[in-house]
Amino acid sequence: MNSLIKLELNRALRNRKFLFFSVLYPSLLFLLIAGSADGTDKVDGTGLTLPTYMMVSMASFGALTAVLMGNSERIAKERESGWVRQLRLTTLPGRGYVLAKTASAAVVSLPSIVVVFVVAAAVKDVRLDAWQWLALTGAIWAGSLVFAALGVAIGYLASGDAVRPITMITYFGLSILGGLWMPTTTFPTWLQDIAKWVPTHAYAALGQAIEQSQAPHAKDIAVLAVFFALFTGGAAWLYRKDTLKA
Amino acid sequence: MTTTAVAFDQVSKAYGEVRAVDGLTLSLHPGQTVALLGPNGAGKSTTLDLLLGLKQPDSGSVRLFGTSPREAIVAGRVGAMLQSGGLMDEVTVAEIVGLACDLHPKPYKANDVLARAGITQIADRKVNKLSGGQAQRVRFALATAGDSDLIVLDEPTTGMDVTTRQAFWATMREQADQGRTVLFATHYLEEADAVADRVLVLHRGRLLADGTAAEIKAKAGARRISFDLEGPIDPDALRELPFLAHLSVSGSTVRIQSSDADATVHALYGLGLYPRNLEVAGLGLEQAFVAITEAEEARTS
Repeated sequence: MNSLIKLELNRALRNRKFLFFSVLYPSLLFLLIAGSADGTDKVDGTGLTLPTYMMVSMASFGALTAVLMGNSERIAKERESGWVRQLRLTTLPGRGYVLAKTASAAVVSLPSIVVVFVVAAAVKDVRLDAWQWLALTGAIWAGSLVFAALGVAIGYLASGDAVRPITMITYFGLSILGGLWMPTTTFPTWLQDIAKWVPTHAYAALGQAIEQSQAPHAKDIAVLAVFFALFTGGAAWLYRKDTLKA
Repeated sequence: MTTTAVAFDQVSKAYGEVRAVDGLTLSLHPGQTVALLGPNGAGKSTTLDLLLGLKQPDSGSVRLFGTSPREAIVAGRVGAMLQSGGLMDEVTVAEIVGLACDLHPKPYKANDVLARAGITQIADRKVNKLSGGQAQRVRFALATAGDSDLIVLDEPTTGMDVTTRQAFWATMREQADQGRTVLFATHYLEEADAVADRVLVLHRGRLLADGTAAEIKAKAGARRISFDLEGPIDPDALRELPFLAHLSVSGSTVRIQSSDADATVHALYGLGLYPRNLEVAGLGLEQAFVAITEAEEARTS
């Protein structure tokens, strides 16, 4: 399986479009949103400056891009082309394909997180303690697994022309509703109430809690855990269905 | 005791109303080169999917070397090339072949695999930039990445030109000469004739014939005779013609299928008839299958 992970990774690193969108794009978006903001403006109800707040949002957004895009479209495409069938004729265990995909997406998501941090620290003078940087990286990286599972589920759910629109709607929906592009405090109250239960909101909240020198809220962890169970269960079910059909 | 390489026991698989494979029983022995012959829709691909464990039979059992298909694959005993088995795109030929070698429990050196499949010179090319024939060779390389005992190929020469096709079969003969069991699906009788020492004819998911290529050719060697007759036609007299397999009369036109056209035509003149616009043509494989089936059904009913 390691050789498949290695090959998936080589391929991802050669794909400039994918690298741009998952590694550089979140940093550019960060500069665009936080660039003109005054470093002392606080985001309502968080005690965090806008650059600090947006740094976590964009790092989460970058990781989301890498794992969701990396999984869903690839899996749908390779399922259709018959590559998944071909792999089933090798010693690779059934779940090996999905694990290799997720592992290589996770390797790409790490630089996308770190690059946002470096840009935020260098350009917008975001300063945190050493443990916070480490905890942030770990939490955002680990949290991205929730969306990797969602990517797998979409990859096995949709195929052909349907997979891109479904991925895009999910991707933008999660990004906007979860407050990755703008703080949810700017939303009308009814939308804020909905956003609270969106997994990306809980995801970004992990990082914001760390920035506030707090432990992540139990509610956010619970929301993520429930969605993780839901997405993995869905992916496993769709995977089995696909295996029986193919 | 030698183990059977492939054993199908009363295997059936249906898609809704369509019975793709219908009570198939067969066994292949080590060292045989076997062609699975049949027209499109005969159930060849489904049979191979069942054999490889990609599909589960509705009833019956499939065993490879006495184990389940999956166990045989994990043990590295099976190499397979699917008809439209996709390839991982945006990687090079060398990389994908290297992956197949890494995944095989008894791998060959990647360079040897590339050389044997005749793709050394395109090793650095991206998989998604290959011609149809080149892609088929890459699939063949994936199927022969290690020392497998059974090699399964689904319509392997699709998209190959004549030269490539010949080179391909030469490579495959080598595999068979090393004592491997080779099973390939094809709808070309000539291909089965040139390569296989046993031919299985599949029609509507059932095994129609099982024998050497020569035997199958004799069975499928039926010809179609058509002619016009003036005046009233007596079908009963025509039905007495020798080697007649099938007769149809529409208006003044008579169509006959015969297993020995020369004798049938000779007897036709012997009846004192004067056929006009006489045509004798070979049956396509597909029609030959229908002829064989009808003959079988007539015999068993």
